[in-house]
Amino acid sequence: MVKLFALFEHAAGYGIFKVQEFEEIGIISPQLEASINNFPQFNSIVQLVSFSPFKTAVAALDNINAISEGVLPEDLQNFLDITVPKKKSVTLGVSDPKLGAAITEALAIQCSHVGAVPEIMRGIRHHFHNLINGFTLKSSGTAQLGLGHSYSRAKIKFNVHRADNMIIQSIALLDQLDKDINTFSMRIREWYSYHFPELVKVVPENYTYAKLVKLIKNRKDLTEESLDSLEEITMDSGKAQAILSAARSSMGMDINPIDLLNIEMFASRVISLTEYRKQLSEYLKSKMSDVAPNLGQLIGEQVGARLIAHAGSLTNLAKYPASTVQILGAEKALFRALKTRGNTPKYGLLFHTTFIGRAGTKNKGRISRYLANKCSIASRIDCFTEVPSQVFGEKLRQQVEDRLKFYETGEAPKKNIDVMKEAIEEVHQLNAAQKKKKKKKKTASEALSNGDETNANGSLNADEDHVPKKKKKKRNIEESVDNAEIDTSVSEPPKKKKKKNKSE
Amino acid sequence: MGFSPGNRGGGGFGGRKSFGSDGGGRGGRGGGSRGGFGDRRGGGRGGFGGRGGGGGRGGFGGRGGGGRGGGGRGGRGGGGGGFKGGKTVIVEPHRHEGVFVARGKEDALVTLNLVPGSEVYGEKRISVENDGNKIEYRVWNPFRSKLAAAILGGVDAIHMAPGSRVLYLGAASGTTVSHVSDIVGPEGLVYAVEFSHRSGRDLINVAKKRTNIIPIIEDARHPHKYRMLIGMVDTIFADVAQPDQARIVALNAQYFLKNGGHFVISIKASCIDSTAQPEAVFASEVRKLQADKLKPQEQITLEPYERDHAVVVGLYKPPPKN
Ligand SMILES: C[S@@+](CC[C@H](N)C(=O)[O-])C[C@H]1O[C@@H](n2cnc3c(N)ncnc32)[C@H](O)[C@@H]1O
Repeated sequence: MVKLFALFEHAAGYGIFKVQEFEEIGIISPQLEASINNFPQFNSIVQLVSFSPFKTAVAALDNINAISEGVLPEDLQNFLDITVPKKKSVTLGVSDPKLGAAITEALAIQCSHVGAVPEIMRGIRHHFHNLINGFTLKSSGTAQLGLGHSYSRAKIKFNVHRADNMIIQSIALLDQLDKDINTFSMRIREWYSYHFPELVKVVPENYTYAKLVKLIKNRKDLTEESLDSLEEITMDSGKAQAILSAARSSMGMDINPIDLLNIEMFASRVISLTEYRKQLSEYLKSKMSDVAPNLGQLIGEQVGARLIAHAGSLTNLAKYPASTVQILGAEKALFRALKTRGNTPKYGLLFHTTFIGRAGTKNKGRISRYLANKCSIASRIDCFTEVPSQVFGEKLRQQVEDRLKFYETGEAPKKNIDVMKEAIEEVHQLNAAQKKKKKKKKTASEALSNGDETNANGSLNADEDHVPKKKKKKRNIEESVDNAEIDTSVSEPPKKKKKKNKSE
Repeated sequence: MGFSPGNRGGGGFGGRKSFGSDGGGRGGRGGGSRGGFGDRRGGGRGGFGGRGGGGGRGGFGGRGGGGRGGGGRGGRGGGGGGFKGGKTVIVEPHRHEGVFVARGKEDALVTLNLVPGSEVYGEKRISVENDGNKIEYRVWNPFRSKLAAAILGGVDAIHMAPGSRVLYLGAASGTTVSHVSDIVGPEGLVYAVEFSHRSGRDLINVAKKRTNIIPIIEDARHPHKYRMLIGMVDTIFADVAQPDQARIVALNAQYFLKNGGHFVISIKASCIDSTAQPEAVFASEVRKLQADKLKPQEQITLEPYERDHAVVVGLYKPPPKN
């Protein structure tokens, strides 16, 4: 005589069921089959012993992560420990042999996943909402929906730190702010110049000017004592002195306090706006180092962000052929040129990188094409890599520098294949170092299976990118951008090929 | 009882086979009424260019479709034109519950939009006013969805009535899934399994808006990994385009498909064996299914929407007849 229990894992929690005793397990199957669409009949064979709901959504996620890998989660171990009697004659039916083995090892409960067990599981799945008190088909679906989303999201690692839309917004805002700050500053100058026309000539810079307006207010109140604070803003004692003397001999008209107050208020706005702009640009920098570290490293955060914004997303940018990247932002000129059969533009947004300006006139086009190739590679790496690093960006940047030098002095740059080999080597070292760190952390943290699981994502990740990452990335790229591949290889055929070979 | 291949004149589709015991006469039934909208205009689909641009599509006369007028597979304009004026379009229920047909300048298959005001993959929407209530439908393009192609091909049943639970294997970005979600409606559920992370991302976003879709990013070959997320389902739809698709369906059925539930699977011949004749591939897939208690009842090819594709519909573990 065997006592058969069954463990059923549901999105809402674990259920343990007792199966009616039979002389021989063989007899049970036909009866089960017959009863499967009939709840009272099924319930006479299979009854709930106990149900242990997951306490939180996080707990549910931890549990499903363990269960799907065949690992025994702590919650389940505790539940089984108190629910299933530990006798020789007891067998626990499970869905997954791997989980069964883990249970046997941890709790010395005999497990089975064959014979009548699959059919029992089908029956429990069918009647689950009836077997558990207070459960309905609807609430069962709700639990599945919630857990399905969190499980799937965790799988594809929706990385909030790598959201390129933040970059697109902030670069757009940055441009808007630049424009606005400029117009506002013009307004202040004009306005304050009624009262103190000479100040503009001494201090033409917008931010300092606005700060001075706020400090000086009525120019007639300026005295020798104001010199210190003037100097603090201008950072230049000569200028402070010049302002004071200009104030004394100013041609400006008098101003009444109310007008002054309004000018001052406006100046404060401009000042804070300018400060905000600074913050925003810092934010953009840090965002770029999360989302597109290599691209940022290669051409600078702002230009990189502009490219992404122009393409619509990092993925879009990664899909573009290098020839498109080269003239991104110069579409108007391009189409004009195509229409009139004139010369097509050599560069668009890339013009704002330092490289173009440093190249000689006859090399500007060349370096732009070269740079575009590198940008397109950098953006692909950024888009498809799982663990971001700047290594490639640094190498690519160095390559562009070397190329510039080559134009000037004729000094031959390193071969592309060697540079890329170096880069890959470095990335591997970096990853290995990170992996070690992670391992240490892991052993330090609770050594329980639970802890293992929470880290499983991380370590899996590190495993993946150790060797196959490169390949995988390549594959991804090829899948999605075979067009792009072809186009780039047109503009730089041997390089592209080499790179591919080596990375396979 | 064996197969009864019957070439119907009707919609001009290719081979159609029935299995099972309800008589071989099936093939002859209904003629045109079953094929899509009945009044398909040849012109709507003619004309090359557009998609793929290949003239090649027109020339498969040798196989399957006897009645097909050599129309090439033209641009996908079919579903498009002129649905703006709410008055000129009439929406009628299709033979399959939950599916509708919009009759305007050109007929189109549509589903009732579960989330009015939003589209999923750039499809057209049609608003119809009904006693002051606005109802929105989404156009379902048979060139982009094999299930839609099967419906227009006159498949007998899709087993996805409103309120039913469907396990969808190979959900991709959620194109077809979104229409299934429309069909089963708020009372139904679609468990959508997809293992590509890239498509999975889109799928999750679709599922965020449509709360009857449960996204599962996992390999359909390992149903035990996602067994906690799925209840018993009425129907399994499979479009994973893998050589071992039959086994994948059988595995999932064992876990999740209720006795007497149905399966609808799309078979792309070239995915299974690119060297064999498509018909031979379909037949061997059918045999594999039969071996796993998946009893095929019907098979149709998806011409002219897809080439060398078949959809097989069948029954799982029918309850014993008393
Ligand atoms: C032909 S597409 C499906 C298209 C979808 N039915 C539609 O009409 O919108 C096939 C999909 O199945 C997925 N797939 C292939 N093998 C799979 C597997 N073992 N598990 C889950 N999904 C798989 C692929 O990633 C691909 O997205």
